[in-house]
Amino acid sequence: MWSPYKKWLLRDLDRWRANGWLSEEGRAAIVADVQNSASAFSLASALGILASVLFGFAAISFVAAHWEDMPRLARLLFLLACVWAGYGVAGWLEMRGQTLLADAAVLFSSGMFGASIMLISQMYNISGDPADGILLWWMGTLLAGAVLRSNPTLALAMVLVGTWSFLHVSESNTVHWPFLIGWALVTAAFVWQRWWPGLHLSALTLSLFVVSLGYLLGKGHAHGLVAVLGVLAAIGSVAIEKTRFDLDHLATPLFVYAIAVTFAGLFALQFFESPSVAQLLLLAVVTLSLLLVAIAYALSKGNRGALWIGYMAFSTEILAIYGQTIGSILGTSLFFLIAAVIVAALAYLALRLARRSTNGEQPA
Amino acid sequence: MIVARKWLWPLLGGVALVQSVALFDMIYERHRLLTSGRELTLSVRPLDPRDIFRGDYVTLGYDISTLKKSNTESDSDFKGFIPGTPAFVTMSPKPEGGWTENHVGSVYPSEVTAGDIVLKGRVLSAWKSQDGAETIVNVRYGIEKYFVPEGTGSALEDKVRAHKIEAIVAVGSDGTGALKGLVIDGERHEDPPLL
Repeated sequence: MWSPYKKWLLRDLDRWRANGWLSEEGRAAIVADVQNSASAFSLASALGILASVLFGFAAISFVAAHWEDMPRLARLLFLLACVWAGYGVAGWLEMRGQTLLADAAVLFSSGMFGASIMLISQMYNISGDPADGILLWWMGTLLAGAVLRSNPTLALAMVLVGTWSFLHVSESNTVHWPFLIGWALVTAAFVWQRWWPGLHLSALTLSLFVVSLGYLLGKGHAHGLVAVLGVLAAIGSVAIEKTRFDLDHLATPLFVYAIAVTFAGLFALQFFESPSVAQLLLLAVVTLSLLLVAIAYALSKGNRGALWIGYMAFSTEILAIYGQTIGSILGTSLFFLIAAVIVAALAYLALRLARRSTNGEQPA
Repeated sequence: MIVARKWLWPLLGGVALVQSVALFDMIYERHRLLTSGRELTLSVRPLDPRDIFRGDYVTLGYDISTLKKSNTESDSDFKGFIPGTPAFVTMSPKPEGGWTENHVGSVYPSEVTAGDIVLKGRVLSAWKSQDGAETIVNVRYGIEKYFVPEGTGSALEDKVRAHKIEAIVAVGSDGTGALKGLVIDGERHEDPPLL
């Protein structure tokens, strides 16, 4: 468990204890439980995962060095032996109950699998498509992660799916739709594992994919589509929150990613395209209004992530408008007009919130 | 990792085995292509020598890397203007030695003259000249990189600059090409088989 949570909980526990809601034994039991769950994510396993990542980089550099003193066959057999040894160590650690260290060993093997693919590509001068090698790598990694139920390995699979798509896009400059297949497979594995950090990774890669659509579809001018998709996702998340209380933990982060995607689309429309002053003004008003609505909603739901993204986007938008309009007196005047409208809207919002809190409902 | 004790070792072994088989399959495919494919020798076009050596591989350019519509016959339905689509290039031997491209299409040609070799590539980019009369298509065949041990690139670099390198390409029955080795000053350089 993360220490900010622990600190927070300890503070609350002291208050509850002082109020007499909690017995001293109850407090001790809760503290002991938190301490125990904290050791599940121990320093040793964190270092183990880190070591596996470093081993992976070492192996890939070893391949890249093309070291001639060691015959090609020996290099290949060495990497293959590393793959098998990793799984062997994983089994041994699992038997001893070191589950998280076993995860690190599985991750190590998947890294060695990737290094082996690179070595074979190098031995046979396969240049056709670097992305083809990564395709085999992510499939092998996904297999290992799903069959052995190893979360860090599944995270690697998602990173590899993203890299695979990125290589395709950077070469062809067209949308790489097969990304969605890989993404769906790894996400399904995350859901099956009930591993929420993995779902965050899924949401992040999907958000990047959606934003990239704006630059790839419609000759690179499809940012409107990105904004619409973002707004739809936000509406979807609100709908989930209203109707399914049991899925609250999914709707809350979904809203955060939806705001980010919407803003990325609107921002590109305003500042990477070249709209007329009137269009820019209209888009800016739309953007700022949507952000205010999002911030207000986040405040009412206590969605800290959405609040943070909302404030960030709001500041970025204001700065960008200022940068765009400055230079002409009319533009600057327009900027102040927009700023005034925003501040007036903020004041209204603050009034509403204050009224609500005096009615007894405390905003988060 | 949360795996039932009973299944732990079979699952671990299974994953290791599948990954190993995938690697061996990769080697087998390449090995078969190199040993059974027909051989094509192409002269390597000197690229800007300052640009072609990136770290530990040599980037090889070929005449067939850029196809011009004016001197290459193409199928009427050739979709070569869409990046990522396949391009099958038919190569004919020249009487004075070497090979020349004479046809390009989006599918493997139904008739191939004896002696000709069809090489499969992928369209990287395409553009039309300003007057619209000429179309240039950039194609990649998967034979554009030759990996060299760290630090040995500069000697090869000099030879590429002096036009003395040819590439030996093995071509499978489906048109897939594999770089088999290089001919440097008339001398064949090939990696020995792995096994």
